[in-house]
Amino acid sequence: MLSILIQKELKNILLSPKFFATFLVCSILILISIFIGINEYNNSVLQYQTNQQIAQQDIEQATGWMQVRNLLHREPTPMQIFVSGLHFDVGRVSGISSFDDVKLVRSPYSDETLFAIFRFIDFAFIVQVVLSLFAILFTYDAINGERENGTLKLAFSNPVSRVQYLFSKFAGTWLGLIIPLLIPIMIGLLLVIVFGVPVSESDWIRIIGLIGLSILYVTFFIGIGLFISSVTRKSSLSFLLLLVIWISGVLILPRMGVMAAGQIVDIESVAQIEAKQEAFERERWESYSASLSEIWGEREQEMEGMTEEERRAYRDEKEWEWLEVDDAARKQVQSDIIENNRTLLEESQNRKKVQEQLAFNLARISPVSSFRLAAMNLAGTDIDMKSRYEESMRQYKDEFTKFTERKQAESGNSGGFRIEVDSNEGVKLDFGRNDQTLDTSDMPRYSAPVVQAGTSFGNSILDFGLLIVFIIATFGGSFFAFLRYDMR
Amino acid sequence: MQNETIKQAPLLEARNLTKVYEDGVKALDNLQLTVHPGEIFAMLGGNGAGKTTTINIFLDFIQPTSGNAFINGIDANSDPLEAKKNVAFVSENVQLYPNFTAMQNVDFFVRLGGKSQYKRSDYEDALVRVGLQREAFDKKLKDFSKGMRQKCGIAIAILKDAPAILLDEPTSGLDPKAGKEFTRLVGDLRDEGKAILMSTHDIFRAKEISDHVGILNAGVLVARKTNAELKGVNLEELYVEYMAGYMEEVGEPSALINNLS
Ligand SMILES: Nc1ncnc2c1ncn2[C@@H]1O[C@H](COP(=O)(O)OP(=O)(O)O)[C@@H](O)[C@H]1O
Ligand SMILES: [Mg+2]
Repeated sequence: MLSILIQKELKNILLSPKFFATFLVCSILILISIFIGINEYNNSVLQYQTNQQIAQQDIEQATGWMQVRNLLHREPTPMQIFVSGLHFDVGRVSGISSFDDVKLVRSPYSDETLFAIFRFIDFAFIVQVVLSLFAILFTYDAINGERENGTLKLAFSNPVSRVQYLFSKFAGTWLGLIIPLLIPIMIGLLLVIVFGVPVSESDWIRIIGLIGLSILYVTFFIGIGLFISSVTRKSSLSFLLLLVIWISGVLILPRMGVMAAGQIVDIESVAQIEAKQEAFERERWESYSASLSEIWGEREQEMEGMTEEERRAYRDEKEWEWLEVDDAARKQVQSDIIENNRTLLEESQNRKKVQEQLAFNLARISPVSSFRLAAMNLAGTDIDMKSRYEESMRQYKDEFTKFTERKQAESGNSGGFRIEVDSNEGVKLDFGRNDQTLDTSDMPRYSAPVVQAGTSFGNSILDFGLLIVFIIATFGGSFFAFLRYDMR
Repeated sequence: MQNETIKQAPLLEARNLTKVYEDGVKALDNLQLTVHPGEIFAMLGGNGAGKTTTINIFLDFIQPTSGNAFINGIDANSDPLEAKKNVAFVSENVQLYPNFTAMQNVDFFVRLGGKSQYKRSDYEDALVRVGLQREAFDKKLKDFSKGMRQKCGIAIAILKDAPAILLDEPTSGLDPKAGKEFTRLVGDLRDEGKAILMSTHDIFRAKEISDHVGILNAGVLVARKTNAELKGVNLEELYVEYMAGYMEEVGEPSALINNLS
């Protein structure tokens, strides 16, 4: 019985023009997106390698270890082909040196603003927007359309159970949508292999997870379609309702969640934080100079009643002590400022985290957000990509500055330069180094932060779970509604 | 042509069937009827008399307010899956899948009816029997006329080969020739031993083949006649007597009669 029903559903779908259209559109979109994604990936790998080389050369040709500035680049990942996530939005490069703050700048989109206008289409986008729409097109009239046609009555004049009937509707539509999803993605993965994209074992696991996630997502939309179709009598009404649900679920709710979080949790702007930092800095330096003049007043007092001779001798005697005291105070101020900057930054980062979590949780009213978040987590192009990179770059920076300081000390060169003005040769800069390049052989190497596939799955487990809960809810609702459905 | 089988148990039985819709409309009022193997029971009545309601209860599309409908002794509303194994149904407007061919539609619905042993030639035989042109067998249903769809519907019912058949105004909207052919087919099925409950507002056709005619008016079976009793009856009088409500809707009886004969 069930197989007869499923066969019929599948046949009905395979013969329908909407299946043909879906297959065509999905194939074209998925294959093009993967093809372009591969090209884009290869380009970014090339760019990455060139940039690394240039950075290396720049270091070798630096004037001295004190001036050395390393440039670290974000490493492209094959997963960005499928889920570009924030890849195009997060900066690619950060300067690393004692005088640079670690900060990823120059995102791909900021360099190529044209592509930012409509953004790249990737596999995740196609699933999120196109397949969900197709799922609705496949299901909006699944039940009420058959009632309107009159075929429901004829079918149920036979010993057909409602549960089996609804299940066959689901199974037929499911297969009818999963085929146009799986075949192109399989061909796409073949393309990825043929074009020699270095997909690691962990990446394959992620890709499988992503396909599983996409299937869950499509299943949810089939569920909601079946549900609406079995609580309405007219397919025109269910279509309208589903369109409203789709628009709010896919386009509105995720954004609303993020916007609401932005209103609820206030985040200081970078300018505000900088103003705070500056105020603190000014205040510390002012109190420093005040205390300095106080100290000098005290020192003057100590010397009171001394003759000029005595004073000089006293000063000469105390000079180093005083210098050390003053220097210590100055260093204290500097470290206080650094400490304060760090706490302010940390505080703002913590608040950001709170806002982020709230935004995600609000957005998760819509399973579309769950899909998106899980997809980005799986691909490693998620929102934490930036902080992951900056974190590891900060660690590297510590290593790197230690290294340059050591090198500096070893070379015994002040790192300064001399300006000579020669009437014949004009201005001449003397960096005090011979024309040898710097030896970078023992320079610490930076390696991009590694996220285990297991960790990525762990991070997306909540969203997987939510999707499953939504699926169960829509199917439960559909069965409940269809068991009471008036066939006439 | 009827009486020898009457002692057998009825295949279709409505027992004290009453249906009051949610909005308070009493569509059936204590309906009693039985159809035995080899019998045609024609439920005659105008629009809104309760014919479709009766058939819908037999098919468990709606629940009776009280009373029972039995198919082959099985309560259609408490064990619908078992009951429906014993009945085939042709609606007043047979609707099939427009993207499927006649063959594909027949194949699906017949197998849904529990018959999977048929070969294509069996389907062809049935379609030939109901008078569908061979060229139409593999045409998509979306190009079919109403008459062609009714033919597919009866072919499906024939192939399901259930002991009882429910026909809800099967000839309404068919041209006279098609209607006549259809009626002849129904008569053949009765002769094969099927128990047939047919609703219609076409008294002439009913008289032609039925063994029993029940006149339904506002949910009440107001008259019950055997075929023999109908022989000498003046049709116009019968209309006036029992179907006054219906006449008001349809118009002049004479106009209708001219139309149908
Ligand atoms: N779903 C329903 N809800 C309320 N009243 C209904 C419903 N279906 C039918 N009726 C009413 O029940 C009566 C019988 O209808 P029906 O059985 O369809 O008549 P027939 O098939 O003989 O034309 C009519 O008055 C009709 O308006
Ligand atoms: Mg009716």
